Amino acid sequence: MSATITNPLRVGLRQERVIAPQCLIIFGASGDLTHRKLVPALFELFQQRRLPSEFALLGCARRPWSDEEFRQKMAEAMGAKVSDNRMAWDQFSAGMFYEPVDLQQPEDLVKLGHRLQEIDRLRATRSNRTFYLSVSPKFYGSGCRALADAGLLKDPDRSRVVIEKPFGRDYSSAQALNKVVQACGQEKQIFRIDHYLGKETVQNIMVLRFANTIFEPIWNRNYISSVQITAAETVGVEERAGYYETSGALRDMVQNHLTQMLAITAMETPGRFDPEAIRSEKAKVLQAARLADEQEPWNCCIRGQYGPGGSQAAPLAGYRQEPGVDPNSTTETYVAMKLFIDNWRWQGVPFYVRTGKRLPKRLSEVVLTFREAPVHLFDAAGGSPTANQLILRIQPDEGAEFRFDVKSPGSGMRSRPVEMEFSYDESFGEPSDEGYVRLLADAMLGDPTLFTRSDEVEAAWRLYTPLLELIEDSPWQLPIHPYESRTWGPAASDALLARDGLLWRRP
Amino acid sequence: MSPQLTLQTPLELPPSDVPAYLEQLWGQDQPSTGNAGAHTFCLLIWQPAWTEQQLIRTGRLSGPITGVQRQELIAAAREAVIEVDLPLSTPPLSAAVADALAGLAGDTKAEDLRGQHVDASVSSLRPRRLITLAPTLDATQELETLVAAYCPLPEEGGGTAACGDVVVLRGGHDALRRGLGILQPLLPEDLPSWVWWNGNLDEAPDLLRQLAIGPRRLIIDSALGDPLACLDLLAARIDARLAVNDLNWLRLRSWRETLAMVFDPPHRRDALSHVVQLDLDVEGEHPVQGLLLAAWIADRLGWHLNGSQRNEDHGISAEFQRPDGVAVQMRIAPVPMGAPSIHPGQIVGLRLISKPESAPAMCVILCAESGGCMRLEAGGMASMELLEEVVPVQNQPVEADVARLLEGGHDTTNPLLAATAPLAAKLLS
Repeated sequence: MSATITNPLRVGLRQERVIAPQCLIIFGASGDLTHRKLVPALFELFQQRRLPSEFALLGCARRPWSDEEFRQKMAEAMGAKVSDNRMAWDQFSAGMFYEPVDLQQPEDLVKLGHRLQEIDRLRATRSNRTFYLSVSPKFYGSGCRALADAGLLKDPDRSRVVIEKPFGRDYSSAQALNKVVQACGQEKQIFRIDHYLGKETVQNIMVLRFANTIFEPIWNRNYISSVQITAAETVGVEERAGYYETSGALRDMVQNHLTQMLAITAMETPGRFDPEAIRSEKAKVLQAARLADEQEPWNCCIRGQYGPGGSQAAPLAGYRQEPGVDPNSTTETYVAMKLFIDNWRWQGVPFYVRTGKRLPKRLSEVVLTFREAPVHLFDAAGGSPTANQLILRIQPDEGAEFRFDVKSPGSGMRSRPVEMEFSYDESFGEPSDEGYVRLLADAMLGDPTLFTRSDEVEAAWRLYTPLLELIEDSPWQLPIHPYESRTWGPAASDALLARDGLLWRRP
Repeated sequence: MSPQLTLQTPLELPPSDVPAYLEQLWGQDQPSTGNAGAHTFCLLIWQPAWTEQQLIRTGRLSGPITGVQRQELIAAAREAVIEVDLPLSTPPLSAAVADALAGLAGDTKAEDLRGQHVDASVSSLRPRRLITLAPTLDATQELETLVAAYCPLPEEGGGTAACGDVVVLRGGHDALRRGLGILQPLLPEDLPSWVWWNGNLDEAPDLLRQLAIGPRRLIIDSALGDPLACLDLLAARIDARLAVNDLNWLRLRSWRETLAMVFDPPHRRDALSHVVQLDLDVEGEHPVQGLLLAAWIADRLGWHLNGSQRNEDHGISAEFQRPDGVAVQMRIAPVPMGAPSIHPGQIVGLRLISKPESAPAMCVILCAESGGCMRLEAGGMASMELLEEVVPVQNQPVEADVARLLEGGHDTTNPLLAATAPLAAKLLS
């Protein structure tokens, strides 16, 4: 969103709940996520005065840094964000500490316990602790266990654990991991993060649906003919080849982010705005979702991989040519699939989901296409009548638009489509918070609404189990279709919709 | 949601035995038994309910006395306004109604359940201790202390209910004052304590002063009591850095939000730098809410107060100076209402006129959904860009507003209120 002069009447109007005195402990503090997302988000919360004065951040990793080194490294990595706000950073960083910790070493956990007690005394953080596991996924279970064994999760009201994605690699590993973490603490202590849920526009889907009377009556199979959910990236694999080779687009994007968008779009109305009520509805709709053809998943899923592209002046490497990628890799960088939800609201309505790297535009959106009018009384100026569409733009150009037909000016009665537009930028003129700002604040407040519950995670993995098994057992049945970088994916993906007489929306 | 009653009949104890009794009750806290006392907060409530007591005494309302703003109470109070010949625009639960009823005969008795009715919006927050000070009409009545433990009904999905207790101190003014001694040990230091003064701010200043000592967080309603006393109390509390929350300010949120919303689109923001006139219409003659809104706008837009005066019609005029030196005229006008809100001095209309040099003048009119604002819509705005919005009326019961405050956990004064209240006080003085 573009920067604009702040609305002076808007300042301070948001009545955020106050975070209790708190120590946030980040494991994996020397990693990328800490300086790219977590510390900037905490600094933003500090600048918005949403952190209590009794706040401390304790970075933990294996590197033998001192408190001062940790502060300096974070400041360097954040660049202008710090240099432009030096005074605020000095105040904020006074509450930043570092402790070398190897989660696999019990004596390190004992040391950590003592350090936390010292910080409690120093910063009056009152033993309220949020542990953030920004470590390799293989350490999620053992990390939780180590914290529990050290007695650091003993108080369910004062300690919680935030776990990054991916939560498991498939249904059975997610189940096993859930068992481990649930043995370490109560479910209310576990915060499984999906940063898409921190986006204003994803949350806005709920408000749009449940705060307005005009949408909910038509938000069902009687009026909606299909739903498309897209998350397109222009970037390639970049420096994440190591991780991406073991995950692919299905695990990296579809199972979590796109499935969360699907759940929020398709869920039933919760009885009240309450974390458990909302998460129950999301879990229910995911439990009712299935691949369009579970027996022969290759009929409803297309995998792709970007090849070289770009121009002569700025050529783009193909996925297999990227550093760190196996030259014969069969990891998908693009997935498109068709799903159904077997419940009264959505029976028979196809949900098309796609995500890919190196597509022409960076965007995420949900498109609801409505059924055509039963009788066409008017000629369409464009040749054929267009169905109404509601487009929820998650990013960028956050907002929504509604396409409907009006009379084309002039003699005769010809119809043509127009768009009614809502833009966050034009209506609010202020950038929304980064997803992590919202999610970190919510975790420290103990509000799990925007975090995924164990049954949601398991339902999401179960949904894609036929695909994951197929890829594992007989990958040739789900071949990788190459596509040129900066195109809208393989032709087979278009064919998936063409079979139903539809097209992907070209944003 | 209807209020929950305590699940057991309160036990009457001598005042001096109450702390020891409660200590014994919670002394055996065993989390494993599910009987743990909630580790949340304590709420101390001044609950006079004068109008309700008078209506019941004079036979105009059936008991029991609950202290809750129920519909029957409001309806009976509206009828009483007519019967006792008060102006129709008198807010039904105001002190004027209680005072007028006090002069009428009647001796109907009713059970007094003040403090034992816990509004669901408050009980769902699981307060550890609710202490109610319930002054009686009979100023000579001796002090009675009642104690009950209660567990809110568990939320859907089960879970262990964390329990709390209810303490009621009932009696005449002097008896209550003597009973204050037992309060300190009843408010554990490790839990935040709130004091909700649910009455006129000037009706028992000595008690208010003793109850609202720091670090207790005070909740008041600046729509109740002498306007200057209300604003002075707010300003003094802010000046002393003692936490204070004002329900009258909280009820302004829809006005603040709607006005901010008008200027959210970036192309309208420049108009805020060129405001020349601000008019506010308020219900009746209690100007505090109007003053708070005007002071908030002035503070946010960086206006400096040049001077203010009271008008013959009980309105208030003021002149501000914008940062660029141009004068801004402000006027708060009282308007009589046939069916006044239960909260005195609610804003019913706002008009803000902006005259940028290089753009057409803009007139913003905000109007309460409860009534029209023809007065503000009249008068020479045809050449201006007109923006009109309807402001939703806050119909929440006062308990829900208090619950909202408690839920927020704010342990300091809202910074906007802290900046606004001293300026509002200056406008009136």
